[in-house]
Amino acid sequence: MSTTELDQTNAGAAAPAPHSSARVHLSVAAAGLALGASLGMIGFGDFAELNAMFTLRDFRMLLTFMGAVGVAGILFLVFRQKAPASVRIHKGIVPGAVLFGTGWAISGGCPSIPIVQLGTGYLPAIVTMTGIAVGMKAYRKLNARVFHFDAGACNV
Amino acid sequence: MEYWDWWIGALALGLITFLYHVLVGRRFGVSSAWERVVHWKVEREAERIDRDVAANADAFAAALMAETAAEFGEEDTGGVAVAAPPSPGGPAASGPTRLPMSACLLLLVSILVGAFVVALINGRFEVRGDMGTAFTDIVVGGPLMWPVLFVGGVMVGIGTRMAGGCSSGHGMSGCSRLQPVSLLATSVFFGTAVAVSSLLYWVI
Repeated sequence: MSTTELDQTNAGAAAPAPHSSARVHLSVAAAGLALGASLGMIGFGDFAELNAMFTLRDFRMLLTFMGAVGVAGILFLVFRQKAPASVRIHKGIVPGAVLFGTGWAISGGCPSIPIVQLGTGYLPAIVTMTGIAVGMKAYRKLNARVFHFDAGACNV
Repeated sequence: MEYWDWWIGALALGLITFLYHVLVGRRFGVSSAWERVVHWKVEREAERIDRDVAANADAFAAALMAETAAEFGEEDTGGVAVAAPPSPGGPAASGPTRLPMSACLLLLVSILVGAFVVALINGRFEVRGDMGTAFTDIVVGGPLMWPVLFVGGVMVGIGTRMAGGCSSGHGMSGCSRLQPVSLLATSVFFGTAVAVSSLLYWVI
């Protein structure tokens, strides 16, 4: 782990006083509504658009994603926001990302996308969501008994 | 209704990521919220214990001191008692703040509501038992669709937690801060998705 990584982890651990519960809930609800609406308007829940992005036949959503990273990055820089705690680099990052990328490509789940698909009326997305829940439960058990990957204390 | 041009979507998603961080004080991550909700029984119990410990911080410290005194003798604990920290100002004043369980569930539900309202407004809402023609053509249709979606979901579930984030936590929040772990995870999951999607589209 690099020193910058350490700094970021420590900065996150020494978090300022927690925000009030009402403010957190209101902000979370607003963010969720905006995210669901935006993903619907962008077309991330549309498998045709998703596959067109991943096969590099259409760059609209790829540009959207990269643009979003750029917009957030500039805002964080301009307003000098401290980076929150990040997950540690451990041996599970790469295999985990490979699994996620494969699952995303075949089911379209990202994992907010099945929620968007369900909101658009695609009932089978409930099966994808069930799979996500089963996978997360399985991972917590597997990690406790087999992998023992340490992501740091404050990634949740 | 047409989908948004790339720059409108980029502004929207970028602003959400930034404002979420400012307003909530945490990394914007959907898979973390998912994970908390999936383990709601354990998480609820953990929250109850956190509250109990916070409410009885003094009693907790006194019990620790008593145990320490019993173990090592009175005189050794004198210095520690003086150095004991003042009572925390709130349940989360010490250690990192965790998003409450209720807020995690709220995030997932509000994504559903936001997507539903938009689909209604732009006329895309339609209750259907398949995943659309593109999915049927490119991946699979018929009864095989169910196990494929389930297995895909399981892979997303295990993968996002093993990698410690998804397209929001690593992809948008982490990459916009140039955090090495997020750049690594995002390039790997995006690269894999490109490879698998191309295989599905051109080969299978």
